Order: sequence, then structure tokens, then C-alpha cells
Amino acid sequence: MGSFTSREEFETMLGGFFDHLTVVPSIEEKLLASKLIIRFKYTDPDVVLVVDCSGDTVEIRRGDAETKATVEMFMTADVAHRFWFGKVNLMMALTRKQMVAKGPVPKILELLPAIKPAYELYPTYLRENGYARHVID
Amino acid sequence: MRGGYAGRVLHIDLTTGRHTEAPLDPEVARDYLGGGGIGGRLYLDLIEEAIAEGASPPNALSPKNPIVIMTGPLTGVKVDAVARWTMSSRSPLTGFWGDANVGGHFGAELKSAGYDGIVVTGAAATPVLIDVQDGAVEIRDAAAYWGADVYEVTDRLTEDLRSPEGKRGQVLAIGPAGEKLVRFAAVGTRKRHWAGRTGLGAVWGAKNLKAIHVRGSGEVLIAFPERLQSLREELKTLYAEDLLIEALRAFGTIASIDLGALTGDVPYQNWRTGFWAGVDELSSVAYQEQLLTDNATCYACGVRCKREVEVKEGPYAGVKGAGPEYETLCVFGSLCLNTDLASIAKANELCNRHGMDTMSCGATIAFALECFEMGLLGSDHRPGPTPQWGDAAAIVELVDLIGRREGVGDLLAEGSAAVAARLGGAAAELLSTVKGLEAPMHDARGAHGLALAYAVSPRGACHNAGLQYPIESGGMFVADVPELAVELEEQSSVGKAALNVATQDYGVFFAGCAVFCNLGARPLSAAQAVEMVSCVTGVDYSLDELLTVGRRVWYLKRGLSNLFGARAEHDRLPPRLAAALEDGPTAGGVPDMDLMLREFYELRGIDPEGLPRRDVLEGLGLGDLADLLHS
Repeated sequence: MGSFTSREEFETMLGGFFDHLTVVPSIEEKLLASKLIIRFKYTDPDVVLVVDCSGDTVEIRRGDAETKATVEMFMTADVAHRFWFGKVNLMMALTRKQMVAKGPVPKILELLPAIKPAYELYPTYLRENGYARHVID
Repeated sequence: MRGGYAGRVLHIDLTTGRHTEAPLDPEVARDYLGGGGIGGRLYLDLIEEAIAEGASPPNALSPKNPIVIMTGPLTGVKVDAVARWTMSSRSPLTGFWGDANVGGHFGAELKSAGYDGIVVTGAAATPVLIDVQDGAVEIRDAAAYWGADVYEVTDRLTEDLRSPEGKRGQVLAIGPAGEKLVRFAAVGTRKRHWAGRTGLGAVWGAKNLKAIHVRGSGEVLIAFPERLQSLREELKTLYAEDLLIEALRAFGTIASIDLGALTGDVPYQNWRTGFWAGVDELSSVAYQEQLLTDNATCYACGVRCKREVEVKEGPYAGVKGAGPEYETLCVFGSLCLNTDLASIAKANELCNRHGMDTMSCGATIAFALECFEMGLLGSDHRPGPTPQWGDAAAIVELVDLIGRREGVGDLLAEGSAAVAARLGGAAAELLSTVKGLEAPMHDARGAHGLALAYAVSPRGACHNAGLQYPIESGGMFVADVPELAVELEEQSSVGKAALNVATQDYGVFFAGCAVFCNLGARPLSAAQAVEMVSCVTGVDYSLDELLTVGRRVWYLKRGLSNLFGARAEHDRLPPRLAAALEDGPTAGGVPDMDLMLREFYELRGIDPEGLPRRDVLEGLGLGDLADLLHS
């Protein structure tokens, strides 16, 4: 069993973080430029989050299993959580199937510059939003 | 020999102008497999008698220093990611063992001309080229080509030596840098594939050897074609679903910069800082938008990871052809804080035309920029304004000066370690070299085992001496070799000595001898790699036997560097690469070199002086090497 036992807590925590990212201008700009619709499918607990960059603003939708996504990413909640701390080697996670990505690779790589500043924001977000116990030193 | 091998090695003595053929000994093929394995074995065979009689090992630029070009058993087989071959000799840059692993079409063409390899000894009195056409060998006058750059000599020889029916062969050539003995001169084929590292182009120049042209009409015999076809079908599915292969197709090796910037793999400003915002301007997407025009590939490889580029406007307009690879992008980009992609394409083209290893050239320039900044180099070395970090024009100019050996370029053409020794003072603290070879563009502070790999690599700081880099960085996962499939924490030194041993044994077999491409062949399991070698050669190898081949060849190369003087004190990271960074993803972390080296020496049976123990060498059938090292 992973460290997140509550589906609601993980969805609120990570979904809230994604919401938080969409108001950071430099990140929002890169996400909108990608025009991607990305579906993150987490397990243990099961949570689905969609990051829709196809419109004029970035939309984060909880539990959206219907929208046709450009890219789908599959991983456990623990891997996702550690990833946003910069503690998961993306390439290693992909080759070892700890993460599975489906979709056009060039589009996925285009997202990497958006991810970089997000690493620094995640611990602060957790501390400021009542999730300090989940901060990894 | 049933399949894979042509069964013959061509020996050329440039001093006498004579050539002979020798059968490839099946026992040597079984024990050393091919590529750098057979290359190293043949090299040792050529020099050991004289050393046993008391002579010193040959100087790198001496006529007595042989060059061995060797294919592997898979070279020339129509399968993805097996087109590679190797070149071996003593390095004029480091003074130690030198080898290079090359792609393209030359290896396949050499085999179709009837040879597994070419051994070149002696030196010609005047410039020559070697022409091999389906077993007919001629040493020709090359005076008309001497001085020509690599692009020009490739084009001219391809046309001048094509068959009456119009069939073109493959040209392997040096440029002016090799002729002028630039210590990191390269040898190039098809204007885009290079025997780049360790400066073997200067060995060619010292021998007055301008080029080798090969043309053949034969085919590689496959011992078990039906088994190979079955494996091909299996791999087709594997490749179609592999994300890394898709990334290679889309962006080539450049894809590494996007991930590397996240993990701390990309070095900045001569390795002294861990963060640089400008790296985003060198991204794979920026490269694609600003430079890319097409993909290119090696013989029979569907991955097509090579880049074709064009600069259409600005001061570097006119650059057209082979594009910079990841390493080149970094040495002239992030290492010099240069965001100008067009200037990087120009620096790459200049290196190609002069015939120089972009990695040592760019690293030497980054080192020089810091020397200028510190006043160790000044206007007496290069008139005019002091070159600054990110000064694209100065970087391009320095590349050209090095290729021409003009002005400060004549000094920098000796390589950064030699320049530091000449300048003295604090210059040595700015070096990125191990055993005199400038480190590749992967920062070992982000993957501690890589630091050990750099330190103990027989040819100097190198990420391709084994498979430590792709395994530890996560780009390759060999699930069916338990020692390679361990849980990894990159920024830890624990267990990394054992991992290095495993990645060396497997990597030397896989990428050094077989010769699989360590990029395009990454999806293969060990079982699939062994099956491919077995069904091509007709020898039913076990994984254990091929790991023993890898281990034997690792010790052979280590021992050759030992013969040339390498000792324990050369198994060290330079201070610059071992110092903690203040910022970036790896801030504060440094590899524990003492721990890793102590464990590694123990695991490898290396004595405190740095020599492999006699019993270890004898146990691998390297008794002659043991005699030379321990007599």
C-alpha cells in the first residue's frame, strides 16, 4: 500500500497543486503553447486528473475519463508525489515502467521546460495548504 | 567461421608499402568477439614482442604505433543499431590506450569488401591513401588530397574512386587537423560519423595516411537466418512501442538536454555552476525549430537518430549538413554559456571540416574561456578583447584557430591538460580531464557511479567505456541481468563499484565488441542481444560467456593503458568535477570517490599501484599481458 490512503485527499492535494501551477504565468504560458490535453491516471489510490491546455486558459478537471487526451500518463500516487519533489528520474521511471506514457514523444518533451520551475513550488504549496506532513526532506 | 565474420584481416605496412592478409583466428573471435576486443588483442600482439625484449611501448605518433580498425560480428547485418565498428591505437592526446566507436556505413562496406578489419603499421614518406575494392588493395599517392578538409576529400574520393558502373564506396579520412597533429584530431566518414575521442586522427597524420576508401559487393553471411528473422519480428514490436526510440527518432541525441537539465546531468560554465537559465534556449524543440531539416542514419538502421541541419540566415548562414549531437550542443553551448544555436552548428561544421573531436575541442575552449577570465591566458595569447562566456563569435573563431593551429589555437590544439601543464598555476584546477581526456557532457555529481566510471575508464573520462551512464541515468534497463537491474539512487555512492563492474562487463561485450549501438539498441534485453550474436555467428553463446568476453576485454584495455604508464594516481576525478555545486539539482552532493575506488579495486583484483593482479589476468587468458605488467 502507498502512503496515500485517501483518494479524496490525494485528488484535492495534487489537483490543487495543478490549479496552483496554472496561475504561474511562466508555466501557464508554456502549457498553453503546448495545446496538449494530458490525462494523469493514478493508482493506489485511483485518481484521474486532466490538464487541458487546448483552450485560452488551462483547465484542471478531476475525474474526467471522457475527454480524448493527447497524452496519457500512468503511475502510482507515490511515484507522482515523489516526481514533483524532483526525486523520480523520469527516464528511469519510464524504462522501468514505473511510469507509462502514451502519446507523441515530441509533445511530451515539450512539456519538460514547464516542469522544471514546478519542482521548486511543490514543497511550498504543500506546506501552505495543510499538507506539510507529506513534505519529503 | 560460420557467419558474421568475413574471416580475414588486412595488414598494411605504410613504411614498406606492402600489404598482407591474415585469417581471423576463430579462437580470437570467440574470446574477443570483435570491435575493440579483437582490436585490442591484435594491437597487443603487434607490440608485445618488442616490449618483452626491453623496448618501450611505442609513442603515439611513432611509426611503430599500430592503428587497428575492426568491425564486430554484427556489423553489416541488416538490423537496427548494429552498424558500428571501432578504431584503436595509443592516444596522442592522453598517452594511454585510445579507442573510438563509430557508426555510419564504413564498417558494413569493409565487410562487404571481404575484411573484418584493417591493421595499419609504419608510416609513409609522403601522403598516401589506402584503396580497398573487393579484396584488391592499393596504396595510392594522396598528395592531391593533402590539405583538403574532410568534406572535400570525402566528396572527391567518393567520385574519383567509384566503380566503372558508378558504384560509390565509403571514405574514411582525416582533415587538416589530423595532418597538423592536433591532439584531438578525428577521423570521419560520410561527413557525419567520427572516430572522435582520443585523437586518433593525429596518429593517421603522423603516418601520412590521409584516407581509406573501401568498396565491396559481398554480403555478411548469417549462420541461422530463420532465427534472425524471428528475432527481427520480435524486435519490430519492441521498437514500435519504445518511448526512447521514439524520442531518438524525433530529436536524436538532443533529447538528452531536456531531461538532463532537470536531473543535473548537463554541465554549465566549465562545470562550475549547477544552474543556467539559458539551457532552455538549447532545447530539443528549439533545435528542431531553428536548425533541423532532416534525419539521417547509419547502415540499415531504422532509428534514424542523426540530424541534418541548415542555418539559413545570420552570420553563420550557409552551414548545411550533419548537425551537432548532444555532446557537441553542450560543449559549445552550456559549457561555454552560449545560447546561439546557429553558432553551435557552425562550430560543429568547423570541427567536422578540420577533422576534430567536438567534445575535446569544445571542452578545451570552455577551459580556455575560464583561463582568459582568470588572466592565465591574455592578449599575448590572443590579441583583441578578452573572450567572454557566451561569446559565440569568439568560440567559433577559437575552433577555427585550433583546426589551423594558428595563434592561441596552436597551444589549445594540444588539449586542455597539456595547456594547463604549460600555463601552470591555477590552470590545473579548471580541468575536466581524467587521464588527459576531457569529460563528456554528463555531470557525475548527478550520478555518482558515473564518477567512478570516468575515473577508471581505460581511455580517460568516458561515458561509453561501459554502460554505466545509460544504466545509472535510467535510459537503459536490462531486466534480465540481475546485477544491472538493482534499485538505484543516483546521488549515492553506495553499491556503485559493483554496478560499475557489471556495466563494464556487459557494456564492453554489448557496445564495445558485438558492436551494438548503445543508443539504438537500448531496448534489447540481454537474451535478445545474445540471441542476435548467436544466430549471426552460428556460435551458441551463453550470456555468461559473453560477459566473460566483456570482462576479458575490459582488463585488456586497462592493461594496455597500464603498459603506457597509467597507475592508481590516474584513476582520479579532477578537482573541478569532484567539487560540490552551490546550486542546481545536485547542489551539495559529491561522489565518495575513496569508497567507490576502494571497493572497485577489491572487486576487480587491482593492486594498490593500479595494476590488475597476475592471477586475475591469467584467469582470463591474458597471461602474456600479465607477464608484461608484472615482469
